[in-house]
Amino acid sequence: MAESVKALPDDVQEIIDVREWDMRTRPGVQRFRELKAKSLPSVALDEELVYEAIIPGQEELIAEIQRRFQRKNAS
Amino acid sequence: MNSNGKGKRYIYRTEGVCPAEIHFELADDTLEQVRFVGGGCPGNAQLVGALLQGRQAGEALDLLKGIACRNGTSCPDQLAKAIESALHGSLSPARSFNVLSDPEPRSRIGLIGDLAGNAGDVDLIAAGMKEKGVEAAYCLGNVTGPRADNAAALKAVRENGLYAIQGELDWRFGQNQEIPGAAALNQKDRDFLVRQPHVRTFELGGGHGLAFHGEYLQRLPGYSDYEPYALEMNMVCGLTRFMEDEEVFPALEAMLPQFTARLIIFGQTRSWGRWTLEQTEFISVGPARDEQGPAWGLLTDAGGGVSFEIVRVK
Repeated sequence: MAESVKALPDDVQEIIDVREWDMRTRPGVQRFRELKAKSLPSVALDEELVYEAIIPGQEELIAEIQRRFQRKNAS
Repeated sequence: MNSNGKGKRYIYRTEGVCPAEIHFELADDTLEQVRFVGGGCPGNAQLVGALLQGRQAGEALDLLKGIACRNGTSCPDQLAKAIESALHGSLSPARSFNVLSDPEPRSRIGLIGDLAGNAGDVDLIAAGMKEKGVEAAYCLGNVTGPRADNAAALKAVRENGLYAIQGELDWRFGQNQEIPGAAALNQKDRDFLVRQPHVRTFELGGGHGLAFHGEYLQRLPGYSDYEPYALEMNMVCGLTRFMEDEEVFPALEAMLPQFTARLIIFGQTRSWGRWTLEQTEFISVGPARDEQGPAWGLLTDAGGGVSFEIVRVK
C-alpha cells in the first residue's frame, strides 16, 4: 500500500503527510482499532477510514486527496 | 525486588554449583536483580543478591572471582563468569519471554486452564488424562491462586508430571512479588515458577502449535513485536481481543500467512472456545473448575487435522 502512495506525483506528495502502520506491532494494532477498521489493507485520510481491503487506483486516490485538501482550504 | 526494565536481563546456566541458573540484569554496567535459581542455599543467595544490587559490574567482579566452594567453583565464582560473559558479549540477553519446545511430536495433548491453586483438581484431572491416553499435559496458568494452598498445587503439578506455563500470577510469584492476601510461598516454589516457560510450542497432527496464558507477556520488560510468536500473541490479544471481536477476523485472516503456528492456545479468558480460520485453529482454554466441576481439554491428532473436546471429570 505504501508503494502506491510513494508513487503519487510530487504535487500531491507536497500536500500530504504519510504514516504507515505495521500490523504486526502493538502500535499498528492499536491504530487499526482506533480507526475501527476490519480488513487489510486499509487507508485512512484525515483520521477517517476511506478504503478497506482494497488498494485504490492512483487516480481515485489523488482525486480523494485533492477533494479533501480543497474542502479544508476553502473555509 | 522488581525489575525496572531499564537493563538487559541475562540467564546464565551454571556449572558445578547447586543452583542451575543465575538470573541478573545489567543496566549501564550496574548489576540488578541478581538471583540464584534452582537450588543451593536460599538465604545466602538472597543476601548475595541484595548486597550486589546497584553495584558496578567491575566492582562486583573483584568481590566474586575465585571464591571456591565445590568443584573448584562457587555461586559467586559462577556469577563472576556470568557477568564477564555478558560484558564480553558471549552471553546474550534473555528474551522477554521464554519459549520451550516440546521435544516430541504428540498425538494426544491435555490442556488445563486456570488451576487457581486447587491441588485436588490436579489429581482428579491428571487421573482423567491418564485414562484418555494423554501423552503430555500443559497447564496454561495460572497454576497458583490468590487465596489458595499454592505449595500443594505446585507439588501436585510436579508429582503428576504436568508441564506448567507461567500465567500472570505465577509470573508475579516467580518474580518474588508479594501478592496481597496470598499465602506465603517458599523460595523453592518461587524458583520452580520462574523456571517454567511463558510459552510452550509443540507438534500435533503435523502442525506446529503454541500455548500461552495471555496478554501480560506483552508487558514483560524487553518484549519485542518481532520476537518469535509475538505476531500470534499480538493478533490474539490485541487485534481480536482473544477472538471475541469477530469483526476484525478479515484482518486476522490477512495476517495468517505470516504466522509460524497453526494451532494457537491461550488461557487468559477462562472460557472455552474454538475458532478455525484458514486452517489455523485458535483454542481458548476454560478454567480447571467451573460450576459443572473439574474440566480439561483434549487435543487429538485426527489424521491431518486436530480434534478438540472438553472433558468433564465425574
